[in-house]
Amino acid sequence: MTFRVLDPTPEKAPPAGRLAPRLDTLQGKTIGFISNGKEGTKGFFLHLDRILREEYGVARVVSRTKSNYSAPADKHIVDEIKGWDAVVSGLGD
Amino acid sequence: MQLASKTYEADSISAVQELYHSSGWTDGLPIVPPTADAVEACLEWAMMPPDQLIGIEPVRGLAITAEKLAINAVMAGCLPMHFPVVVTAWMAMMQDEFLMHGATASTGGCAVLVVLNGPIRLELGANGTFNALGNSDRATAVIGRAVRLCLINLMDVRPGVIDRSTLGHPGKFSYCLAEDEEDSSWLPLAEQRGVPKGASSVTVMAAGAPRQLMNEWTTKPEEILETFAAEMRANLRHYSIHPGNYALIIPKQLREHLQAAGWTKTDIATFIHERARIHRREWAEVGKGAVVRDRGDSVYPAMESPDQLLVVAAGGPAGGFGAVIPPWLGNKSHAVTLPIGVCVDCEPPKK
Repeated sequence: MTFRVLDPTPEKAPPAGRLAPRLDTLQGKTIGFISNGKEGTKGFFLHLDRILREEYGVARVVSRTKSNYSAPADKHIVDEIKGWDAVVSGLGD
Repeated sequence: MQLASKTYEADSISAVQELYHSSGWTDGLPIVPPTADAVEACLEWAMMPPDQLIGIEPVRGLAITAEKLAINAVMAGCLPMHFPVVVTAWMAMMQDEFLMHGATASTGGCAVLVVLNGPIRLELGANGTFNALGNSDRATAVIGRAVRLCLINLMDVRPGVIDRSTLGHPGKFSYCLAEDEEDSSWLPLAEQRGVPKGASSVTVMAAGAPRQLMNEWTTKPEEILETFAAEMRANLRHYSIHPGNYALIIPKQLREHLQAAGWTKTDIATFIHERARIHRREWAEVGKGAVVRDRGDSVYPAMESPDQLLVVAAGGPAGGFGAVIPPWLGNKSHAVTLPIGVCVDCEPPKK
């Protein structure tokens, strides 16, 4: 007996994200950090902040924390991103 | 009826199972082959064309159509009459306040608890008595499983993919129960939450595993409910301090003592709201002293207000048991109640 059965998935791949253009240098740039708010992000981002400024000449690091670590970043944070040269989004798990 | 899904051919029932398992399309259990006839029967029962948009998943923008829900419902074992419940549960899960992406992706590992109210329970043979939180009946088993298979197949909520649960719990196979409205003098959960009397409805809640308790040594409401409150305090101490929707499942033996004393669901919620709270310093007693800091005197209630408590009359007739079902992560996700099949182009539910 032949069964003709149906595909249970959406079949279409969800829209893929596109990488932002890479920076030629970090020298003098503004880098934003978006933490999801979990404990593990604190030490990691502090460490990364220091490395970026001391070793790569980053001019400014802006740290922001989402109000809900299980939801997309708050609008006011997303609105700020256009003022940054690059963004690092971090999970604390 | 013109279905859009890709069709596969398999020459035996075993081959069907291997196709679905090897493609990652199951929960590990065998599935019912989703043939066009079976899927069309579900859609016809619900009077939905295959391409009807049930909703857009709010975070990733994924379109959920009736056809794909029906395929997964058939796979779970649903009959056509079960399908409108699955659709309504998904409509409820796609409300912003449910935060479906967070709840289903989280390391916290909750499942979607589905509570049925109204005449649909009787039409489907959904049983709110013996084994209410387990394998009580066909309807709740397959509806709960359909909700999970849809998450797996429509949103990639597979372990290690979108589903990042550290542990998960057995309710992730199926987590659906019916309220025992016939054997209770209390308002049904849905009516308590604003659904008109007599309407069938679905309530969804991002929920941890049930925490079972027992107290058959008293008939006093305050003492019975103190056991429930203590279990909630344990959850606040051992799991999460965030306030949110908790569900209490109260079977007949304990329920009758409460009802005999004239306690309503509102009375229960008011009492529980007062009693289910802890001081932050209590965390030091359970190994979490590092996060007490200088806020030891702060008080953390399990719910922000009494109306966050979902009281459900369900369970077998004997035994002084009950259960507390804790939220996934407090107010990050809110329980949502929707009536079933009331209209096609409804306005969004009022906040």
